Amino acid sequence: MVALPALAQRRLARTELRQAGEGYSFALPFLLPFLVFTILPLAFGVLVSFTNWSIIGAPQWVGLHNYISALSNPLVRQAFLNTLRYVVLVVPVVTLLGLVFALYVNQRWPGHLFARVSFYASNVVSAPVIGLVWVWMLDAQFGIINHYLHTSIPWLTSTNWSWIGVSIATVWWDTGLIFVLFLAGLQEINGEILEAAKIDGAGPWRSLRRIVLPLLRRTFVLAITLEMISTFQIFSQVNVMTAGGPANSSASAMQYLYSAGIGQLQLGYASAIGVMLFVLTVIGTMIFRLLFRDKRW
Amino acid sequence: MVRVLPGRRRRRLAWFPGWLIGMLAAILWAAPFLWMLSTSFKPTAQILTNNIHWLPQTFVLDNYRFVFRGPVSRWMLNSLITSFLGTLLGVMVGALAGYALARIQFRGRNAVFGLILASIMIPANLAVVPLYIAFLKIGLVNSYAAITLPLVANAVSVYIFRQFFLGLPDELEDAARIDGAGRWQMFIHVALPLARGPITASTIILFTANWNNYLWPLLITFSQNMYTLPVGVAQYSSASGNYTQINIYGPSMAAATLLCIPSLAIFLALQRYFIEGVARAGVKG
Repeated sequence: MVALPALAQRRLARTELRQAGEGYSFALPFLLPFLVFTILPLAFGVLVSFTNWSIIGAPQWVGLHNYISALSNPLVRQAFLNTLRYVVLVVPVVTLLGLVFALYVNQRWPGHLFARVSFYASNVVSAPVIGLVWVWMLDAQFGIINHYLHTSIPWLTSTNWSWIGVSIATVWWDTGLIFVLFLAGLQEINGEILEAAKIDGAGPWRSLRRIVLPLLRRTFVLAITLEMISTFQIFSQVNVMTAGGPANSSASAMQYLYSAGIGQLQLGYASAIGVMLFVLTVIGTMIFRLLFRDKRW
Repeated sequence: MVRVLPGRRRRRLAWFPGWLIGMLAAILWAAPFLWMLSTSFKPTAQILTNNIHWLPQTFVLDNYRFVFRGPVSRWMLNSLITSFLGTLLGVMVGALAGYALARIQFRGRNAVFGLILASIMIPANLAVVPLYIAFLKIGLVNSYAAITLPLVANAVSVYIFRQFFLGLPDELEDAARIDGAGRWQMFIHVALPLARGPITASTIILFTANWNNYLWPLLITFSQNMYTLPVGVAQYSSASGNYTQINIYGPSMAAATLLCIPSLAIFLALQRYFIEGVARAGVKG
């Protein structure tokens, strides 16, 4: 390798400097709000969780006090358990429905465009729409769900059912996104592989299990990860539908953080709950990824 | 194309039961919207009844009149202004950053892009408490700027632009460079005019993110006349809202209809971009 002459080296260094200047000046209008509103708050939140910040008065360092008082509060423990309950119920149902809907639409049978619009539409509307519509449909006395099921289940007003009522609305809201992810994953599969399998005598179920599902592995990981993250943070529909009630039975961690932490301006305490939820979310998704990595199917 | 079930040629009607079940599911999935719309035009007597009719027996506008007696038009205005501002700023900064990350070789580029990608996996709600404290401290509350600013830097939008600009052939810019054009001119005159697809996709993503946002405006607006439409409409919830009365369902369905019209209209008009944009960002992200 021949060493570059000094002049050329200097020119190279100058080009590099110029490109760094250009690169960062183009990226700055994004990077500035990105750092200030997304990255820094996460670090700041961890700091605040060790203080007794409450807007009025100067914050004091209180060590682990917020964490200890949160963990020793039965309402917080219940909110976290409820959150896990939502994750365990909602994530598998949404994943399965999203997959089945995508397999269906991907057949391109007559009406598949209508089905595609219908399966995705509920994902584009705002949380209060989801909440209000399902509060009405799940009404114990006049709701259409009880009418068609010939039941009178107090979906949102009993401590046994409230989290199920909220979960139903959540499934309706979230499935569209997972459906679209699976649909995109299916469309990337090379049709020739399936043709070859068919010629070799593989029936539809066999090629689904042996070819399609394994090829959708990355989509599965992505879809389940995204759905887990979003369900760990479940808030809006809870707040609109039940505000966590009755008797805390449908409260999620975010809902508790909002009503007890921010509502009463115990911001250090709220931050501690936020950090715990973050850790739980990370642990949850990591466990899932580890399980999925070893699995062969 | 994947066709899992037997082809039409082999067994003519084998696909029919599957098709039927799927169609019923699709209709069922859309039914809550129809029920919402229908309820919003019904008089109270036809709402609080066990006599189910999918179409209103008498068609009334009372529920909408009730809703418009409140500050709902002000909330719509607030939502339109903040969503418009947030989308405009978001698309601009996203296009610039996406361009830099795709077409300018600079030190630290991969680290910056990695950080942006990783942030998609960070739950946004966890930044809410510290952001709230910071905004309270500097007194930036109850204003359009306070509602909009945290949503400007949208990682998915940067991702969409970067993927698009990566695919542009170098020759296009080389010609401009030989003519003496600087980076800025190449971006404005060469790259951006070609980027209609990613501009549409990120406009849709940013607009719906802004229009639908609920938790942040709920925290940062303190007076009714600064509420955005989702925060205002949620007031019709019997659990957490302020309008508590016996028959809230008519007005609440009217309010919900008003809130979902813009998102659904944009979705129906541009659904190809919607689905492709979301899918592209998701699958390859």
